[in-house]
Amino acid sequence: MLTVTLILVAFVAGVTGTWSPCGFSIIDTISAPRRRTTASCVAFAIGACAGGAVTFAFLARIGTAVRGTGGLHPAFTAPVIALAAAITEARNAAILPQIRRQVPEHWRRVLPLPVAVGLYGVLLGLGFTTFVLTFAFWALVGLTVLLATPLIGVAVGIAFGVGRALPVALVAPVAHLPVGRRIVDAMAQRPALVSVLRRAEAVGMVAIAVASFGVTAVGAATKVGAGTDPSTSGSVVVWTSPGGGIERDEGAATTAAVPPHAAVGGSMIAWRDGETVQVAQLSDLTEVFAVDVPGVDAIAVSDTWLVTRARVAGIDTLAVRALSSPDDVHTLATAPRASQLGRPALAGSELVYHVVSSAGSRIVAVDLTTSKSRVVRRSSSAIVTNPSVLGGTLVYDRQTDLAQVVEIGPLTTTGRDRVVYRTGAPAVHDVGHEPGYSHRTRTAQPRPAKWTLWTTALSTSRVYVTLLPRTGSARAAQLVSVSR
Amino acid sequence: MPDVAALTDELAASTSRRGFLARVSRMLALAAGAGAVSALVRPGEADAFHFCGHIYTTDSCPHPTGLPRVDAGGFPLRAADGHPVDDLGRAVNANGQPVDGNGRVMLDPDGRPLPSAPRTQVCQHGVAARLNRPTHIDGAWYRCCGGHIRKLIDCCAYTRQRINGDAALTGYCYAGRHVYCVMYYDTKIPC
Repeated sequence: MLTVTLILVAFVAGVTGTWSPCGFSIIDTISAPRRRTTASCVAFAIGACAGGAVTFAFLARIGTAVRGTGGLHPAFTAPVIALAAAITEARNAAILPQIRRQVPEHWRRVLPLPVAVGLYGVLLGLGFTTFVLTFAFWALVGLTVLLATPLIGVAVGIAFGVGRALPVALVAPVAHLPVGRRIVDAMAQRPALVSVLRRAEAVGMVAIAVASFGVTAVGAATKVGAGTDPSTSGSVVVWTSPGGGIERDEGAATTAAVPPHAAVGGSMIAWRDGETVQVAQLSDLTEVFAVDVPGVDAIAVSDTWLVTRARVAGIDTLAVRALSSPDDVHTLATAPRASQLGRPALAGSELVYHVVSSAGSRIVAVDLTTSKSRVVRRSSSAIVTNPSVLGGTLVYDRQTDLAQVVEIGPLTTTGRDRVVYRTGAPAVHDVGHEPGYSHRTRTAQPRPAKWTLWTTALSTSRVYVTLLPRTGSARAAQLVSVSR
Repeated sequence: MPDVAALTDELAASTSRRGFLARVSRMLALAAGAGAVSALVRPGEADAFHFCGHIYTTDSCPHPTGLPRVDAGGFPLRAADGHPVDDLGRAVNANGQPVDGNGRVMLDPDGRPLPSAPRTQVCQHGVAARLNRPTHIDGAWYRCCGGHIRKLIDCCAYTRQRINGDAALTGYCYAGRHVYCVMYYDTKIPC
């Protein structure tokens, strides 16, 4: 709902821009009976959409960069921005800050008309270059940065561009006719028309505020559904819901049933059924082989490897076997009783998993072709868990007493990680002072999260993370995704 | 009448806690009478004291759940009920496993216990890591709080700056160390 409302408001904000000096100028510039009116309208529309897409995609990228530093809290800020814009739009307030600039008039004289208006379209689509007629534009700027999702930014920008182009494309071809003159005269003489549009934007902003509150628990994440333990292969994501295994293509809304407790990788799918692990082709579930693994409780598969985690007598063991020789088993790691090995994740021959003990936690990467392992992340205060890997990129959970984040970074020990998802503290904090005593303390009071971060998966475009309820049964887990 | 606030601030930045309190008491006795002195130095009544027994403005040591309650070994406890917590602030059992409100081990969707987090000493580990230098628990003081005796503990380090960001005091610290932050330990001894 939030994305749809943003797009609608962006469209209306673009339409409102027609009432600017530049908007009227463009209509007059390309109005018939000049030659090449249609070509000019098309060029203007393309330019406006391109300009809008560039501006808002850039704003979203700024948002992703800032969010990487932990500096954005859209769940709290977005409703405030949207409501402030709604109030000012409803009151028809004067626009501040205003940009008192116009497109270069001489272009229409020195350039072919379609080229000139195409460039005018780019400038008007960029938004920041000329008069702004609505607070909704500034609110969209802030919201796009806060949401920090480039795809949403592009969609909002194109909607803004379409909004700027559509009135021009409708009015300019008839502006020389009596009906066209009446339309332009009505636009020029009836400011109530702009007020109606601004009130429509106010309504849209209220809807955005409501929708923003609706996503408070998961920030900018998209809810995928109930379930846990995602894995990906190309654009296919597979997870286990309370009703069984689910397979979904990222580009489609439909889902298909697969066996529960399944993992995908490359062209393969594997699942565990009791202590039996089945490996099959992902395309048609044709069985490749089945093996018995006592105590198995997690698996990972790729085109060449099968990795299993088993827990026997309280001791975790990770074992690997080549798909070409499934009876040949190699033990990769064993955890002492007080430690835990995490769920394995595979991408080709690169395996990652976590090791957690009361002394600290670490993420281990293993190149299965050489059996060479290395610690790629570790912490003695936070816990780093549930890694996934794809193409040399690592994603994992980091939990401290103040926050829980999903971080993405290179599968090396160097380089910076970026936060792609953030939620509150893993436990409830007190207020930092005793009742009846001074409130003067700098002790942090982070909001507790409703969820505990759990297993992750990584595709070329999205990061998936399981959210376990902080209180109550883990069976109520949810799966969400965020843009990479 | 002298500016008592300015005098106390100046003294606070340049002397030990006990010496500071003594001097402030004497000055205030001269300036405002014995009644004002007793009102200002009584634990828990001055504006800057944020938990019972703490009689100066040094802030709490970073603690996983807020109020800096620790056990006898300096490990974090939840202030509300004295339950052990790990470094993430989650209640844990004797094995360090996170537990729910009923004391049951928290499980993942496969029925495995959720991963344990480290449980480290608030001063000797947590503050030391923050300061990147060793910390010490030197002396302490006991006061009556909520019907039980409470031990007030300074986390000491060779630092001129306390957690508040201003000048650190000597407090209960020895050997040239200063108070970086404060903690407390509740006994079961009634008072």
